[in-house]
Amino acid sequence: MSQLIQCPNCRATLMEDFFNLPRLTPCSSCGVPLQVEIYPAFFRKFTPGQKAEAVIVEGESSCFYHAQKKAVRPCDGCGRFLCALCDCELAGQHFCPTCLDVGKTKGKIKSLDNHRTRYDSIALSLAIFPLLIFYFTLITAPMTLFVAIRYWKAPQSIVRPHRVRLVIAIVIALMELGGWTVLFLALATRK
Amino acid sequence: MAALKYKRLTRERGPAQFSIAAMTRSSLWLGDDHLLLVECTGYSETYKRFFFRDIQAFTIRKTKARMVWNWVWVLLLSLSGLIIAVASSDWLDTGTIIASSIVLFLFGTPLLLNTLFGPTCAVEIRTAVQTESLPSLCRVRKTQRIMNQLRPLISAAQGQLTGEEVAARLRESIAGPAATMDGTADLPPVIS
Repeated sequence: MSQLIQCPNCRATLMEDFFNLPRLTPCSSCGVPLQVEIYPAFFRKFTPGQKAEAVIVEGESSCFYHAQKKAVRPCDGCGRFLCALCDCELAGQHFCPTCLDVGKTKGKIKSLDNHRTRYDSIALSLAIFPLLIFYFTLITAPMTLFVAIRYWKAPQSIVRPHRVRLVIAIVIALMELGGWTVLFLALATRK
Repeated sequence: MAALKYKRLTRERGPAQFSIAAMTRSSLWLGDDHLLLVECTGYSETYKRFFFRDIQAFTIRKTKARMVWNWVWVLLLSLSGLIIAVASSDWLDTGTIIASSIVLFLFGTPLLLNTLFGPTCAVEIRTAVQTESLPSLCRVRKTQRIMNQLRPLISAAQGQLTGEEVAARLRESIAGPAATMDGTADLPPVIS
């Protein structure tokens, strides 16, 4: 990325007296009021990645993935020896690419988890929306119960880690099924 | 690993001014060492983390959305008032009063709220590898309040710069490459 800050409206390069002011200041080019806050990370220099050293002494520990490269540390996930190239640092821990991939797909490494399916919302929608055409609830109520029970232990939303929606969905589905049971019983006992 | 605790900074909001029709809604959450952007499509959530140590810049741009929406509500209010005025013969008639109250509530309340919430803005966050817009930060006043919360956390993670320091460093970074552009940097040394 370039070391220039542009006006988000007109893409003109912003002048020096724009930054870290406590108020909105009009862009000198388009006049749109702007406030730009810049932090030291903006000027941080990137250090190039490390190169893996070749094994020189016979019997020296080598990388699990690259037998010709010298091992620098073990993986914190699986314990395999890693060369500088395979060593992936994440939040102070060191992982091999395989452990990173597994950690991401299985959601074991929380900071790599970037997607969650909201089964609680699905169950609640299945319970509520069919109420508009009540007959559908005969099918959707068991479906709601299935989704709620099947995914009870599935990872929930990171920011709303509770099962309130699932509980509400189960209660509504049970009420719907109860209603149908009463209706069928009433029909069966009617003379 | 212990479950991460997040504090909500903004409510869910769509990506544009016409957010009612938008499918994806985003919200902003505060973590221990990062800012979390949650994009929710109703049945799934996507997360983007901005670690305090990696945030390079925030850009806040004032927009005209409030003015546009105010005009829309004023127009709807005026049109409805006109229709009621033409249709009714007596202003003190119960039906006219009820219709006027409904219209006033439907269009007057959003107009009043939109005015009270203050000027609108568009906010972008920049890191070394991306520039993301934060649609849930849509009002200047609210954005300033959240920035006041975030500033000390970012400063604690990476330090602080004044306007003058930023200007000086920018001058350095622009002058740095220019010094090597005079054609002498890549030439081999002259042996005399």
